[in-house]
Amino acid sequence: MTSITAPSTWMAALTRKRKYLPIGSTAGLFLLTYLAGVFAFEAMRSGQVFFNLFNSAPFLICTVVGETFVVITGGIDLSVSGILALGTVISASLLQQGWSPWQAFPVVLAMGVVFGLAMGLFITYLKVQPFIATLAGMWLARGLCYVISDAEIRIHDHTYTTLNQTKILIPGLADPVAHTGPYITYLVAAALVIFIAGLFILHLTRFGRTAYAIGGGAGANEVSARLMGLPVNRTKVMAYVISGFCSALAGILYSIYVNSGNGKNGDGFELTTIAAVVIGGVALTGGEGYLAGSLIGVLMTSLIQSLIQYNGNLSSYWAYIFIGALMLLFIGIQSLVVAWNAEVIGRARSGGKLRKAPVVWYKRGFVRKAAIAFVVVVVGIGGFEYGLPAVFPSTTTVACTSQAMRPDQAKSYSTDGAVIVLERNGGTGCIEEIIAIYADGKVIADYGTGNSRNKTVNVQADKVSAELVKIDGYRWFTADFFDANPTRCAACYSYSLTVTYNGQTKTVLAVDGTTAVQAKYWNITGDLVALLPAGLE
Amino acid sequence: MKGFVSRQISKFAGSMIVTPLVALLLIFVVDFFTIPGFFDFRFASGQLYGSLIDILVHGSPTMILAMGMTLVIATGGIDLSVGAVMAISSSVMCIMINPSIIGLNLADPQFIINNPQYTWAPLFLVFTVPLVFAVICGLWNGMLVAYWHIQPMVATLILMIAGRGIAQLVTNAIQIIIFNDTVAYVGNGFILVPFAVFIVAGVFAVAWLLTRRTAIGLFIESVGINSRSSYYAGINEKRIKLVAYAFCGFCAGIAGLMVASNLRTSDANQIGLYTELDAILAVVIGGTLMSGGRFSLLASCIGALVLQTTITSMLSYGVPASAIIAVKALVVVVVLLLYAEQIRTYGRRILSKLSAQQPAAQESAQ
Repeated sequence: MTSITAPSTWMAALTRKRKYLPIGSTAGLFLLTYLAGVFAFEAMRSGQVFFNLFNSAPFLICTVVGETFVVITGGIDLSVSGILALGTVISASLLQQGWSPWQAFPVVLAMGVVFGLAMGLFITYLKVQPFIATLAGMWLARGLCYVISDAEIRIHDHTYTTLNQTKILIPGLADPVAHTGPYITYLVAAALVIFIAGLFILHLTRFGRTAYAIGGGAGANEVSARLMGLPVNRTKVMAYVISGFCSALAGILYSIYVNSGNGKNGDGFELTTIAAVVIGGVALTGGEGYLAGSLIGVLMTSLIQSLIQYNGNLSSYWAYIFIGALMLLFIGIQSLVVAWNAEVIGRARSGGKLRKAPVVWYKRGFVRKAAIAFVVVVVGIGGFEYGLPAVFPSTTTVACTSQAMRPDQAKSYSTDGAVIVLERNGGTGCIEEIIAIYADGKVIADYGTGNSRNKTVNVQADKVSAELVKIDGYRWFTADFFDANPTRCAACYSYSLTVTYNGQTKTVLAVDGTTAVQAKYWNITGDLVALLPAGLE
Repeated sequence: MKGFVSRQISKFAGSMIVTPLVALLLIFVVDFFTIPGFFDFRFASGQLYGSLIDILVHGSPTMILAMGMTLVIATGGIDLSVGAVMAISSSVMCIMINPSIIGLNLADPQFIINNPQYTWAPLFLVFTVPLVFAVICGLWNGMLVAYWHIQPMVATLILMIAGRGIAQLVTNAIQIIIFNDTVAYVGNGFILVPFAVFIVAGVFAVAWLLTRRTAIGLFIESVGINSRSSYYAGINEKRIKLVAYAFCGFCAGIAGLMVASNLRTSDANQIGLYTELDAILAVVIGGTLMSGGRFSLLASCIGALVLQTTITSMLSYGVPASAIIAVKALVVVVVLLLYAEQIRTYGRRILSKLSAQQPAAQESAQ
């Protein structure tokens, strides 16, 4: 076989390094997006924002490590979210029975290993499709959560609180004396340890090389690997065991993060995990990609969510759409590389002459088809939002045109010393109310200047302080709470809640009747209603 | 005549519906002895009530999804996006009924609540526009798989993730409640048996005519067995795949309308959640191979009923509703074990050993 004579162009260099194209474009796109965010939003210019990309997703880093192993061997693991949820429930229920966390953790990890082993054996020895087998694993794990406990189990444990709240300051960037500056949490540290271990196993051990050898080639590579005498079965089972272990660890981290065990934890998490792996440039056909790419994929999904939060006008569902679009982009890049490989190999076989290239997506009128698809989507959505109203003009009018919000008034209460200021607006009754709660128990209800319903009452001061601790426990001052105020329906309310605690003040907007708002927001408003005396709800 | 009957019997015994039918009958027999009143019917105000009717009502969206999924799986593909497409179609339907949230000044809420005839768009558009959107979703999947050569699981995963976002985008993440009686009838109405059953029958008739009275069914099987040789045999294998995915999207759209109408709300986060997995499971129980090829629509429908009957019986036994998902997992495991090649070979070996021993035993007896 003649060797390829490299033409002296940058294209040739790119061709030689084409295997780095997916991970390179992931990293490049991440940098570009981050820089764009820094330019657009002043709040993003602090270093902590970058580390918060890690802090908000330690469990995702864990699951992605395991998923990458499985995907590289050419499989797929849907069970991550189920094992994660089961991990949170097992650890919470064990702690409830008086176990120490350090006794509970090994049990949870063993559970993950057993699940991974069972699924791996099914897939390898019974030749079951990975998709189906891991799906059964997910269902079984989620079902077992509810067998253990139907309701959420809250965790009250000192170790958990310590692990959750201790900050590891970044050396060189933070100020160790004042204990301020960029930090990561213990959870992130644990996830990064797993990530580094994964890097070592995947790239520097025989097992890792075998995993790469098995994946790809639509199953043909697995046959070749078997013929070469590689331990194919053992490696495939091991990949699922690693994934089960990582998912169980992610479950532990998740239970620490939310301080509870619940069978609903991590709903749809397997999709986020697979999306992060794909965005990270790992081919779902197997055999291609890097663990480091998957980490960037995680950062990318976190970044998208942060950008949507900083923007404030976009609802959280845009994250799904952006992630889907990114997946499409990276799947396109992957198939470009595959086609490129085929072309280079074809050229090498034909002695340097370019043979007829295989049918690839980027030829054959790709641009035309992409344009048609784009037009269909845009016309579909646009026509819906703007076209139909023109065709069918509305005939009736809204009964309630509520007053605008009074953010200045709410803010003045806050600066006046009110620790909780809840503003509510709209509804069938067309109300506009501000309820300001002070630390000493004074409550002012303000329905607008001169309104006869305005009044001042008192509640117990220790109830107010207990409520503040509770709100802080919901992680009010973290990225968990963000504005979600799409246009509300005619009978819905808009909310604006400002909380001042421990020198921090944060306002979060919300609208009811939508799924875009965090569920915990309604826990807080519900608590506040319970706190207030009758006649003030 | 006798020859005809035995020929029909052997034809039936060799068909795909035998295994799922036997499974369904087995479950029925167990239920008959263990759950008192499982087969009871009550007749009240022109409607039938009973466990079997419940199975039909709750199983109908899965049956419709399973039909579309059967065609896709028969071409050697898979469609993970049906749940998201259900959410899209239900969101589109609800916004056609009451689009006040996209900035239109519409009737006041009390008027809509008290007026069960109110829809914003004409009623036929309320039903057809969501289906058009669902078919567009199916065409998108089909285009990615057939023309862009993306692995089916990966290609449909994109819409599975983005689809729920799109569904929420349509209604601005607001759950729209359905007050219109005609729309609610689709998922809740009765003409002796639930109206949903008639929809399933209609979709089945269309799918059966499409695949068994035209050449499309044969082409689908041929593409599933070997798409390259089908191409050389002159079959436009890309267009066949496109048709299969579009039909799957259409079925998902109908299922979405039924579920939204049954729940009387559009909940883009919950409608169709994990139903893609139910549909695939129904197809697997029906005996259609995941690698493509031979398929049977009726077998998949029976597969969906097997799944739903298992769930309903478990609920009758007192298994909590939230733990039902574990039961489903066990069903998957049992089905996998039954269909696994290793186990089948093992079973066959035992059978042949037994049949080899029998003549030997007879010989020694002589």
